[in-house]
Amino acid sequence: MKPAEKEWTPKILAFLCNWCSYAGADLAGISRMQYPPNIRVVRVPCSGRVNPYFIIKALQRGWDGVLVSGCHPGDCHYISGNLVARRRFAVLKDLLEYLGIESGRLNFSWVSAAEGEKFATVVKEVVEKVKALGPAERLVKR
Amino acid sequence: MVVFQMVWKVIGKNKIPTLIQELNKEYEVFTPVKKENLVFFERVSSGNEAFLDFQNTKKSPKEVFFPQTEILFTYEINKQGVEIEKAPVLKRDIVLLGIRPCDAKGFLLLDKFFSSGEYKDLYYLEKRRNTTIIGLACNRPLSTCFCTSMGGAPFGKEGMDLLLQDINDKYLIETVTERGEKLIKKLPWLKDAENGDIDKVRSLSRNVEKAIKSKVSVEGVSKKLDGMFDNKQWDLIHEKCLGCGVCTYLCPTCCCFDILDEATTKWKRVRIWDSCQFSCFTLQGSGYNPRPSGKERMRQRIMHKFNYFPKNYGENFCVGCGRCVQECPVNFDIREVVEAISTDIWREKDE
Amino acid sequence: MHNVENSIREAAKKLLSEKKVDLIVGYERGTLPLRTTPCFVDKAEDVRKLVWNENCDANLSKYLLSRKENVGVVAKGCDARSIAVCIFEKQIDKEKVVIIGAPCLGLIDKKKVKAKLDGRELLEATIEDEQIRLKGEGFELVFPKKDFICNSCLTCRHRNPPIYDVFTGEKVSEAEVDEFGEIADLEAKPAKERWEHFKEELDKCIRCYACREVCPLCYCKTCFVDQTMPIWFGKTNDLSDTMIYHLVRAFHVAGRCVDCGACSRACPMNINLREVVKKTEKIMKERYDYTAGLSLEKIPPLGEFKIDDSQEFIK
Repeated sequence: MKPAEKEWTPKILAFLCNWCSYAGADLAGISRMQYPPNIRVVRVPCSGRVNPYFIIKALQRGWDGVLVSGCHPGDCHYISGNLVARRRFAVLKDLLEYLGIESGRLNFSWVSAAEGEKFATVVKEVVEKVKALGPAERLVKR
Repeated sequence: MVVFQMVWKVIGKNKIPTLIQELNKEYEVFTPVKKENLVFFERVSSGNEAFLDFQNTKKSPKEVFFPQTEILFTYEINKQGVEIEKAPVLKRDIVLLGIRPCDAKGFLLLDKFFSSGEYKDLYYLEKRRNTTIIGLACNRPLSTCFCTSMGGAPFGKEGMDLLLQDINDKYLIETVTERGEKLIKKLPWLKDAENGDIDKVRSLSRNVEKAIKSKVSVEGVSKKLDGMFDNKQWDLIHEKCLGCGVCTYLCPTCCCFDILDEATTKWKRVRIWDSCQFSCFTLQGSGYNPRPSGKERMRQRIMHKFNYFPKNYGENFCVGCGRCVQECPVNFDIREVVEAISTDIWREKDE
Repeated sequence: MHNVENSIREAAKKLLSEKKVDLIVGYERGTLPLRTTPCFVDKAEDVRKLVWNENCDANLSKYLLSRKENVGVVAKGCDARSIAVCIFEKQIDKEKVVIIGAPCLGLIDKKKVKAKLDGRELLEATIEDEQIRLKGEGFELVFPKKDFICNSCLTCRHRNPPIYDVFTGEKVSEAEVDEFGEIADLEAKPAKERWEHFKEELDKCIRCYACREVCPLCYCKTCFVDQTMPIWFGKTNDLSDTMIYHLVRAFHVAGRCVDCGACSRACPMNINLREVVKKTEKIMKERYDYTAGLSLEKIPPLGEFKIDDSQEFIK
């Protein structure tokens, strides 16, 4: 299980909202679009459900990156969940980066149910970014 | 007890780094270290790190034996059951250099707590038993020091194996125990002290003791507290306390802890410091909290120090180092409380 | 200063004797130099205990939380602002509080004094005009007072309480200062250096929670670090745990923190905690043009949203 023994590939935790991004991921799958297999998906009702603790906890437990994806502004199934979340994430991201966490480890996107291709692109980009950063060290509890 | 020959040695202040260097070969050496403008006890790897010109350290040295976070054991759960791996044992013996008499007395009180009764705390005791304490007498007590009221003294030898006493450019080393003598024998290059030096130290010790102005009348407080559990003053004194853990965490005798399981790459059972001043200290699984407000928690701290502990072990659970007085964010002064109890103001106000 | 002290006493006396309040929360002399301690006065004749000086550093709004009786409270600019936040958040009943506002001239930072004395103990301190006289065993030194003013006071723009019921003394002029100047250097550094900096600072933390307990806005019945079902983050003094504690605490006071500096002053390990929370203030100002504690009506940024909020960080 030691990461050094195998070639390291990043592990990225993705929180996808049920109504848009999860469906977007699904569409990417159905359409047989290729994207790196480094993400593990947690399906959440809304990006507004993503408690900042989830993100911080993921970083503490050694996930190399986090992706949160929800509906585009205005499309939220719950009207404004993603708008509330947006402010929260803005503060959290600014704060984490200020403390010195590499900005590439925290990723946010809006992906609609129709944007299978965008989902694949987002994941590709995130994986590339995290790969460039290497394994997570800061904030990881040993 | 083995009777041993008490010897007096002397060491120049400039030789302290050499001494530490030499001890380092055989022991884990902890000394006061200055960081920015705070002084802490830390493991030193070279003699130059030691800083002995301090009045009192920020944190007490209790964390050498009772670390804030201590892994008790690690374990893995697999199909065969639970596999336990013991925490690493002490590799080398410890030398603590530069312990103030108040903190040394604190160790003796901690010993009572951790070693009496049916169950002994092996984690604490293993470190404690394999430690030689080189004390450092206190030439410049702080205005908040009240060790003399708590049965200590700035030149007190209680709890030490060796005691360094500062006279200008050198320290006089007094052997206090057999363990101390053993250590001294390993340092043949130490010179013998002259009679004049010993006299100097004796008069210095008297003068310093006289210079301690902060006095707390602790006599009889324990007994008086017996009837004071429901005293109305508890409602008032706790009011300004905000319930942080500064006093208990910096205290050389406070030693309450919590044990929890942590999961990272492996399961760990960890012991961490806890404080009676925190509300979740007594919070029960049912949601009931027998000490629901600051009043009960403050009462617990005072009672434990000056009533329960004396009853159980015959001594007050305070050494008068004054750390809690110095560092309390709202200037809650334990001396005032003890004084008020001792002078019967509480009893009168309660009637 | 003295005349402010007198007007505080008079105001307190009036409030108590007219039975407008049952209790006054103010400051009295402490037991150490440069210290005051919170004091609770319920009899008009006891108001002479109240003092007002550069050492009145506790944020007394903490003592108003969940009080049943009517309380008068002595408040500086920052204290009044945190009371305003608590009133907005329904933690303090506006009807039950009488704010005795006082103009603040800046607090003395005991840690700066200690650093200056470098290990020598301070036995007596007097402040006169703009000078501070420090006495101890074998030394007597005079310094300009401004050398020891708290950093939070140096960047303060609201020395006069923005909300109050009674104002004592005369209003002071507000300084035009660079509010976020003190973290600018740090922000300019690369992430790795910032990390190293915070690592070194927060590694000193002993998890005594003094910062949390003195913070007027940390009033949660159960703090996230004390939650056990589930346990979110560890309670050890492991670097990751302490970092996260301070990070999340800062996150929780974002848009609420009034930068009273109580956390930094309370820290026994001399960690400059303001450095962490100050950033949240800046984020709020820059992203949402919001300053906490200036109004009883305005909704703080994390309580609302706009359709066109900044989202440059979202793909």
